[in-house]
Amino acid sequence: MNKIIGKIKNIESSDNISLVEIETEIGNMCAVVVETPQTATYLKIGEEVYVLFKETEVSVGKNVSGMLSLRNKISCSVERIEKGRILTRLTLKCRGKLIRSIITTKSAEKMGITVGR
Amino acid sequence: MKIKIKKKLKGRQGNFILDVNISAEDKSFITVFGKSGAGKTTILRAIAGLLQPDEGYIEISGNVWFDSSKKINLPPQKRKVGFVFQDYALFPNMSVEENVAFGMESRDKNFLQRILEITELTDLRSRTIDTLSGGQKQRVAVARAVARKPDILLLDEPLSALDYETRRNLQEELVKIHRAFDLTTVMVSHDFSEVFRLSDVVFVVDKGKIVKKGRPEDVFIQEKISGKVKFSGAVLSIKRDETVFIVSVLIGNNIIKVVADPEEVENLREGDSVIIATKAFSPFILKS
Repeated sequence: MNKIIGKIKNIESSDNISLVEIETEIGNMCAVVVETPQTATYLKIGEEVYVLFKETEVSVGKNVSGMLSLRNKISCSVERIEKGRILTRLTLKCRGKLIRSIITTKSAEKMGITVGR
Repeated sequence: MKIKIKKKLKGRQGNFILDVNISAEDKSFITVFGKSGAGKTTILRAIAGLLQPDEGYIEISGNVWFDSSKKINLPPQKRKVGFVFQDYALFPNMSVEENVAFGMESRDKNFLQRILEITELTDLRSRTIDTLSGGQKQRVAVARAVARKPDILLLDEPLSALDYETRRNLQEELVKIHRAFDLTTVMVSHDFSEVFRLSDVVFVVDKGKIVKKGRPEDVFIQEKISGKVKFSGAVLSIKRDETVFIVSVLIGNNIIKVVADPEEVENLREGDSVIIATKAFSPFILKS
């Protein structure tokens, strides 16, 4: 599980769902949660929170152009590659913070991902 | 209710002092959670008056039952307590109805009828105890405890002798009974999922001390996660599959496999209690 600390910068809510903007060490991130400031005490501007995301939810792009519906985009360099037959684990670095991503080995090979890029 | 007691206890690992402070709103479902030998049952026995604390104070529904500073110590029969034990403690030669009615201070046919209905014992009312299953016996024990119209219902690991399916059904029934009779209930348990499912407030006891208290979701979840899909379970196995780990987790009577990053399993051991959580956006809902 990737875990990045940050501070809540903005909250937009419907009846049940909120879009939360968080200022973190690796830039602004946002999360959609099925909570509102009424149902969750931690949903307060300025509150310190952890942004959690599973390695398998981290997609990797190279020379990305055009538009994507993915909400959080972070520029990283590749620190380490561990290849398995099916899955490849990437250790990525962004402003000193490590982020892990698990993608298929097929994708990793097709994209020609190498350390340092 | 307010309970503050101190008592020297002899444990398997030597002597220790039970020193607890449990207060909660009346009509709550309170659980005392902890390993065996932590002093849980002693708390219930002290409330019931079956054991005298060295010092302390017990107040239930505004009545003081014990106060060592004022030398108040009501005898057990003066305390309005319903007690349910793990081993049922029923009268084997009496019928279901007689067992339940035995708990009543005065015979009240309508109330008896209502209890039998809510505990789903109406059809079994004439049966003798030795013809009942474990789950049915425990329902009778609960019904008998409730029949006393207690100020407080004490449950000592009431479901631990039962199989999974029965336990699950009875858990729901306990909540139903607790609500239907407006009871203040204190349950002792070392079953994590039971405590999680039933309690309004939980007090975690370790070596005679309360180490944590609060709503079960606050007590058992270290970090507040905004995902709404949460299950508590136990780790059965952790297996490496090249770059990732496959963690098998027992949730209820289902085993699920979760893909985990090596870092996620670093401090994880087989047998650990865990919470499996996912964002409310991810799960599929399929009608079964």
